Amino acid sequence: MVNLLIEFLSNTGFALAGYQNIIMLLVGIVLIYLGISKCYEPLLLVPIGFGILMGNIPVIRDFGLGIYENGSFLNYMYFGVMHDVYPPLIFLGVGALTDFSAMLARPSLMLLGAAAQVGIFITFLGALAIGFLPNEAASIGIIGGADGPTAIFLTAVLAPRLIGPIAIAAYSYMALVPVIQPPIMKLLTSRKERLIRMEEPREVSKREKLIFPVVGFLLCCFIAPGALPLLGMLFFGNLLKESVVAERLAKAARTSIIDTVTILLGIAVGASTQGDIFLTSKSIGIFVLGASAFAVATAAGVIFAKIMNLFVRNKINPLIGAAGVSAVPNSARVVQIVGQKEDPTNFLLMHAMAPNISGVIGSAIAAAILWSFLGG
Amino acid sequence: MYGLDAISANNGWQLAALGISIVFAGLIVLSFSISQIHRVLEFFDKSSGFSQRIKKAGREKNISEPDVADSPLPAGIKESAFQFKLLIKHIGEPFSLPELIDFSKKCGLLHSHLRINDLLQTNLIIPDGKGYFLWNYEVEKTLRLFDERGE
Repeated sequence: MVNLLIEFLSNTGFALAGYQNIIMLLVGIVLIYLGISKCYEPLLLVPIGFGILMGNIPVIRDFGLGIYENGSFLNYMYFGVMHDVYPPLIFLGVGALTDFSAMLARPSLMLLGAAAQVGIFITFLGALAIGFLPNEAASIGIIGGADGPTAIFLTAVLAPRLIGPIAIAAYSYMALVPVIQPPIMKLLTSRKERLIRMEEPREVSKREKLIFPVVGFLLCCFIAPGALPLLGMLFFGNLLKESVVAERLAKAARTSIIDTVTILLGIAVGASTQGDIFLTSKSIGIFVLGASAFAVATAAGVIFAKIMNLFVRNKINPLIGAAGVSAVPNSARVVQIVGQKEDPTNFLLMHAMAPNISGVIGSAIAAAILWSFLGG
Repeated sequence: MYGLDAISANNGWQLAALGISIVFAGLIVLSFSISQIHRVLEFFDKSSGFSQRIKKAGREKNISEPDVADSPLPAGIKESAFQFKLLIKHIGEPFSLPELIDFSKKCGLLHSHLRINDLLQTNLIIPDGKGYFLWNYEVEKTLRLFDERGE
């Protein structure tokens, strides 16, 4: 009996815990606190934080409990991450939520979304320079796309062991967009430029909104076939929304489906974040590079807007270039706030939605390109 | 290996340059295509009006049958009629105007009040005498609104 008791006690978390487990449990608690108390991306940070708690409870090996053990509950949830099931389903919901009118009204603003993706490739170079492998560098670079599902999608293929720190970095910086972007936007623009009022966009017909998802999907996937899962679901979700006849499906996509997948994704990503990967110098490198990725992407978008103004008759307010970072709709809101600080009657939000949405498409294409270069 | 040597050893410069170029090229092609969509649609609208006028020139006018080419309806009303008929099918008849307006806003249709007013004035939407409204299939047939759509 004493032996049984000793064996039981030796299998408890108290006996098996190491310093890494304790630190990771504290990290999980911090993320939950940030999500609930500070409202930093709560829909992701709360599930990820709790997932970290679930994944770092010390358990005996081969008991069928750990996330990397076949047949465990967490392993089944992790299947959707490893096999890129969850990110496309999230994009389905994003497509069903998004109105592409702003982008359709003035397509030239899509180039600002393209410019912001420069942040991905410059960060990729930076990651190579500090010693990351090419696959890891690409997964870190995609943080600059400011798109959580895309970052997880690419990392699951190229560097699955880094999913935890990359996802946490991506979503944390997305929550910090209102902190990171404004100083860069003000630094790179003059007051006169920030006061530019843009021309009212033209009205977009329903037929255009119906045709665009099909045309956009075909074009994007012919150019970058690797973007098929993400952009296919994005455009499909949008078609459901715009078609009116499938309103039930669109409603399911933007409510129950996206919410369910968000829960599963957050828990699985959090649980996969183990101390032996997260508590290393690599993680510090990922967080530093992630911040620089956002900064470079913001700067690239603003600078490109200023370059475009040299050639266009209807001037663009360069602040909207910062919205090319595809944190929808946070970065568009930041543009609106910064613009209104200069002129409270200048409404830039709808103009900023065009590069914001094209940034989502651009980051998915960038991920597909990196996958085709470095995958396999 | 670190620094510029690490980038060169892993073909980083080429990958980055090619990647940025492909992203730009893809979005340029997409933005150009999008910019042409509304022009193509305008062209098809005009050519369908042109072919109607050709048909009209080739046949005798029947005064009792109002012709689509003679219809005072602008192209915008036809599009509104198509969209609102779909919405009405979804919410069922008879329907209330506030319900139709709400649903049209949820589905992302702009200027619902103005467009419903147009449909009321052309008698495509008519009151049922009990405070609700109905779609007027007789007027739809008369105007032959949806011939080209096969409805």
